[in-house]
Amino acid sequence: MAVSGAFKSDLLAAIPSLRAFAVSLSQNADKADDLVQETLVKAWDKHQSFQPGTNLKAWLFTILRNEFYSQMRKRGREVQDSDGIMTARLAVHPSQHGQLDLKDFRAALEKLPEDQREAIILIGASGFSYEEAAEICDCAIGTIKSRVSRARTRLQEILQVSGESDFGPDSIAAQVMGSSAA
Amino acid sequence: MSKKDDQVSGATQQRSNADPLGTNSEIARKLKQYYDELVADDVPDRFADLLKQLEQAEPADAARKKD
Repeated sequence: MAVSGAFKSDLLAAIPSLRAFAVSLSQNADKADDLVQETLVKAWDKHQSFQPGTNLKAWLFTILRNEFYSQMRKRGREVQDSDGIMTARLAVHPSQHGQLDLKDFRAALEKLPEDQREAIILIGASGFSYEEAAEICDCAIGTIKSRVSRARTRLQEILQVSGESDFGPDSIAAQVMGSSAA
Repeated sequence: MSKKDDQVSGATQQRSNADPLGTNSEIARKLKQYYDELVADDVPDRFADLLKQLEQAEPADAARKKD
């Protein structure tokens, strides 16, 4: 069966998201575009296994993710930040006025283990539900939740920001207020 | 307390109930910014070209009808 024109234009429309996810996963623009290319070829080849009406983006993300991990396994685990440039650039300053530099954020994200990084990207940026993310990563919803939670905590540690700074007293103030009642 | 809350949509509020990310956290906002920038990046022509090639490699309906 020939690939429909609609499928082709849906693929085209998904490319910006696929590239963003690929860069987030691989932390490398060239590798990311190779991943996207591989994903498009695979998606084309097995378009018949896609159920029309279901989430094409999730289907494509699953293919891309599988491709990423199978490439990693083939190459053997590379040190991700092979040239160390991003890490060297990461100088953490306590954030002032709650402003966080995007460059610092990028470097902090790169320090996360892949499973945590992909979870927080899928949930916090790509717009997937926990159910969809669990399906993409082939794991339980609870696993996604705990990965997201750990990723967030780790990022907060690296970047020295508090999670709820916008909302009421920070944790130290809360402790002080709590203890005054004791 | 903060005017920022006004912009939170109903859907976002609903999701934040059991949301380990904390939809309004600094981290969540930066994450969005990071990703949106990637999505906005110009797509190289190689991808449209690739799809064109894949399409041409298909046994086209027109070619089959000729047989």
